Amino acid sequence: MPITLENLQHVYAANTPFSYAALNGVDLKITEGKITAIIGATGSGKSTLVQHLNALLLPTGGKLTILDRTITAEEKPQHLKSLRKQVGLVFQFPEYQLFEETVLKDVAFGPKNFGATEQEANHRAQEALKRVGLDASYFEKSPLDLSGGQKRRVAIAGILAMEPEVLVLDEPTAGLDPQGAQQMMALFCRFNREQKKTVLIVTHDMEHVLNYCDEVVVMKDGKLFTHQKVTDFFQELSLLKELNILPPAVVRMREMLNEKGFHIPSSTLTLSALAKEIRNEVKHHG
Amino acid sequence: MKHIEVKDVSFRYDENSPAVENVSFSIEKGSYTTIIGHNGSGKSTIAKLLIGLLEKEKGEILIDGLPLNLENLMTIRSKMGIVFQNPDNQFIGATVRDDIAFGLENHCVPTEKMDAIIEEYAQKVNMQNFMEHEPTKLSGGQKQRVAIAGVLAMAPEILIFDESTSMLDPQGRDEINRVIRQLHAETEMTLISISHDMEEVTKSDYVIVMDQGHVMMAGKPEEVLLEQDKLVQLKLDAPFSVKLQNELQHLGIHVEKSTNLEGMVEELCQLL
Repeated sequence: MPITLENLQHVYAANTPFSYAALNGVDLKITEGKITAIIGATGSGKSTLVQHLNALLLPTGGKLTILDRTITAEEKPQHLKSLRKQVGLVFQFPEYQLFEETVLKDVAFGPKNFGATEQEANHRAQEALKRVGLDASYFEKSPLDLSGGQKRRVAIAGILAMEPEVLVLDEPTAGLDPQGAQQMMALFCRFNREQKKTVLIVTHDMEHVLNYCDEVVVMKDGKLFTHQKVTDFFQELSLLKELNILPPAVVRMREMLNEKGFHIPSSTLTLSALAKEIRNEVKHHG
Repeated sequence: MKHIEVKDVSFRYDENSPAVENVSFSIEKGSYTTIIGHNGSGKSTIAKLLIGLLEKEKGEILIDGLPLNLENLMTIRSKMGIVFQNPDNQFIGATVRDDIAFGLENHCVPTEKMDAIIEEYAQKVNMQNFMEHEPTKLSGGQKQRVAIAGVLAMAPEILIFDESTSMLDPQGRDEINRVIRQLHAETEMTLISISHDMEEVTKSDYVIVMDQGHVMMAGKPEEVLLEQDKLVQLKLDAPFSVKLQNELQHLGIHVEKSTNLEGMVEELCQLL
């Protein structure tokens, strides 16, 4: 079942002088089992959009269908707790939300809150921590004693331990070092590939969109601007320019070389493919 | 002239693991230095030691030739400004205006001059339309802009950015970095930026690479960033142009290394 948004609208502080329409009628179908990137400038409605997916925000107009559930402005949804268990939402800088005495307790809090026994919750917490790359030596540490990147892993493990059907991440790699960021993206990829779960990632990092995501949703002024396959999206440069998006380095390099007389096909999207194309042209000329 | 000298400095948060160990470096007056390293490598600890928020266990830190100690702390602090990654830790005022004013009040700037300064810096970071907003209710990126305005308004001689633009989108980051580089060019300000943004590193005069509390590499970006293997070993990433050069090398094509795409394009065009 895909996640479907029909004319979804959200107005913050409606009927007040501060009224602000963050979503102006979004129609969108998120493909099940894929990793979808959600991109767009600050204030384009990305975060507002994803907060609807677990009913943290309710639409002020339109309709959302997710995991057999329909949420509309008119009908107050029931059983939100089970929806929140199934749709794991990770906020920006989730490490600021850690609160328990130990890493293990913090990660076990979610499953326990959703009805797991102490033993079961601890077991799931241990599994989730291992998946994010934190071994048993971290279990009894205070989350406060960890580095920023390690705290981030604990926070994400807390969501994974709830075994969600859909994983939604709002800028999960902001502030991480390059390798930490890559490991985190690889982790979401594994979660997607091994368990066939749907993953949505709000991001500004075009390298991550290119290297890890299947589809890309571009938001602009509270509306859906375009929804494409990642491999198509980075071929068409005029669109990126219009959106004022700096393309990934491989695409920039490709375009700069073509301007200077190379003839590298626009389907070239990886470092090794680009290197091979360059070799062919150089040899060809030589 | 040396503005900052760090000599053999060590610090630990707990008994067993030193956060910073025997670190030495110096920073020229008016220069722009970036400090890079993976999360937990000791970068932020260095920043906190420099402004005396943490006290070194051993070694010596000289700011403008003055040793950083309890006696000189206030004199030294009045020359320095720092913006942290999480601006929530640094808001004081009930409105954006009050918050930018706070530092100026502390520096005893006369009230009649203050308003103009506040307006000027709010405009520089593009937050002039949010003056009466409550800082804590702004978005992450907006908060960082306000925090940056508050520190810039005090016109510090030494400005330290500890991942201060991590919550901004790429355009916002570019915009703020441009403002800062412009201020740096116009004044004698010494700028230290802790960052993961390799684009920013290429624009600095000097780069220091940290790992496990040690300085592992230091030098001009065009030297340091060419060392792909070393950078990867230190859990960092080399610029795309350097990675491409290595990939081409494997395919039997030799080109000179370059830290930026433009330089690489020039090299490759010569092979056509």
